[in-house]
Amino acid sequence: METWWHALTFSLGYNTSVVTLGSMLLAAAAGMVGTFVLLRKRALVSDAISHSTLPGLALAFILVGLVTGDGRLLPALLLGAAASAALGLWAVQAISARTRLGEDAAIGAVLSTFFAFGVVLITVIQSMRVTGQSGLTGYLVGATAGMLASEAQLIAACALGLLAAVLVMRRDFLMVCFDADFARTQGVNTWRVDLLLLMLLMAVVVVGMKVTGLILIVALTIIPPVAARFWTDQPMAMVALAALLGALSGYLGVTLSSVSEGLPTGPLIVLCAFGLFLASFLFSPRRGVLASLLAYRRFRQRVHLRQGLLALGRDEPIFDGLTLSLLRRRGYIRRDGVATPPGQAAARDAEHEERLWALYRERYPDDALHREHAGLTPIAQVLSADAIMALEAQLMGLREMRP
Amino acid sequence: MPDPRLAREVIASPFAIQGLTVSYDHRPVVHSVDFVVPPGSMTAIVGPNGAGKSSLLKAALGITRRLTGEVRVFGRPIEQMSRHVAFVPQRNSVDWDFPARVIDVVAMGLFRDLRWWQFSGRDHRRRAMESLGRVGMEAFADRQIGQLSGGQQQRVFLARALVQEADLTILDEPFAGVDAATETAIVEVLKSLRDEGRTLLCVHHDLSTVRDYFDHVLLLNVRRIAAGPVAEVFVERHLQATYGGRLSPVQLARLVGSAAEVGGR
Repeated sequence: METWWHALTFSLGYNTSVVTLGSMLLAAAAGMVGTFVLLRKRALVSDAISHSTLPGLALAFILVGLVTGDGRLLPALLLGAAASAALGLWAVQAISARTRLGEDAAIGAVLSTFFAFGVVLITVIQSMRVTGQSGLTGYLVGATAGMLASEAQLIAACALGLLAAVLVMRRDFLMVCFDADFARTQGVNTWRVDLLLLMLLMAVVVVGMKVTGLILIVALTIIPPVAARFWTDQPMAMVALAALLGALSGYLGVTLSSVSEGLPTGPLIVLCAFGLFLASFLFSPRRGVLASLLAYRRFRQRVHLRQGLLALGRDEPIFDGLTLSLLRRRGYIRRDGVATPPGQAAARDAEHEERLWALYRERYPDDALHREHAGLTPIAQVLSADAIMALEAQLMGLREMRP
Repeated sequence: MPDPRLAREVIASPFAIQGLTVSYDHRPVVHSVDFVVPPGSMTAIVGPNGAGKSSLLKAALGITRRLTGEVRVFGRPIEQMSRHVAFVPQRNSVDWDFPARVIDVVAMGLFRDLRWWQFSGRDHRRRAMESLGRVGMEAFADRQIGQLSGGQQQRVFLARALVQEADLTILDEPFAGVDAATETAIVEVLKSLRDEGRTLLCVHHDLSTVRDYFDHVLLLNVRRIAAGPVAEVFVERHLQATYGGRLSPVQLARLVGSAAEVGGR
């Protein structure tokens, strides 16, 4: 616990602090890029990328190992991983563009083939006489404990570059994610924007390999954006929030893993991210489970209140306990169940609303179908003013016809 | 300068299509269509389902690939002139659960005016709000787009096009699945745009309103059947050719009967 506190306050030495900061930057970049990938509905592509890094990584390790005797040279490993990830991406694109297979099928095929090849290469490495073999498992589950400050600096620099690239391209990404057809009419080369987004995603995966491991990096591009979606309805706010949540999970995960030797960083970061997701899922005031439950309660009360008021207006007896207590609490009825003057006024309003909605349903049945709970929300909150005016006028007309 | 060999009407037109063919898997869905949209007109593209109306627009706008053909805006290739063209896609072409507010969507119409280092400022917000006002939606600016009705979604898409202040606005089925109040409101906005001298081109499926809303029409069924002013072109002979005899005599009588009225006036 005390070690964790030291790690959290960056007082565990220079190396650990640099590694923590580097991981946080990377996780932030992953969250930002991941948000756009998620909004483009291509979250699975990151899975394909991460799995197809393995053969390139292993090949680079073998080549460097044959030349120098020690395969652990971070820049070379990153380059190798990037090259084979690019090949994997190209294969996915080519399969989904030139055959009748969908992108999901292409991803499944490419992902498994590349990963299988990578695993074969790793067994080859284990039979080789090269030092640093144990370092390779760090790329599978992530290991920041033994990371050098120079490696962390490289990761941080790449992450900063990614953040800058996302900042520059944010509007193009957003346009393409929301409405690619429209973006094309605005002179946006959507093909190039998509390619760039995938490139950034690939860079995140490759750079993040050392931190979370090549499989789990996917989680950092998906979980923080999904968690962020619970808190906001604004696109750029979602991007910023995903970056923040990503950085926070990186911070918690890396510091936790420094508590004891051999704790895997990647899984810890991902579990922290999941914790943040779970908290968002439960407690978000907009879309969270708790808020939905409360909203359901409120909705039920509204239905009871409306039915009670309509019954008041028609002078029908009310038996339901909840309805009675709701009406009483608002002062619409007296203890003995007789309507008060405000209750009568509210009943008249409710009746008028009901008539407007009924007319609306009659006139525009298709449109009314699209609205949930049509009729319970005050009509002024749903329809624009001119539409309501038209309805009111029609209602007046109907009354004149049937005096 | 536009190519001087071009016809004068092509240079004057905000949207001139020449020899446009679109095909999916060797099957042409639009075949060798020539069409010049008269400037300042309100033109409908009319034809049966599968006639290639939307395909024609999408290919002409460069959204999908065209097999052959050229599209010119004031005599120049549309690729150079896309600033002058605003597009209102079909409402169901996007995911309305996207994390965006109404104002965010309208602001996408300002894409060209914003560089990457700029944050959208008060002036941009004012322009977006003005467009929303024109379609009667300013009260909904901060609403999440998922909460809108079909008609309101269409109004937001129209506002996104309005904010571009383009010479030509192209709409793909703007009246599909919207309530009557929205249909009236959209027609009012479109007519006001035409009165400002702008040009409108609409894919339209409701034959009974063609006469009320539009002054020019292109009848399309894979090939161009006829094109020109509504009063001259929207007649029984061309309609039968477009719909391949699928219109009942009663329908035709109603459509063409109103033509006789217009002719007699």
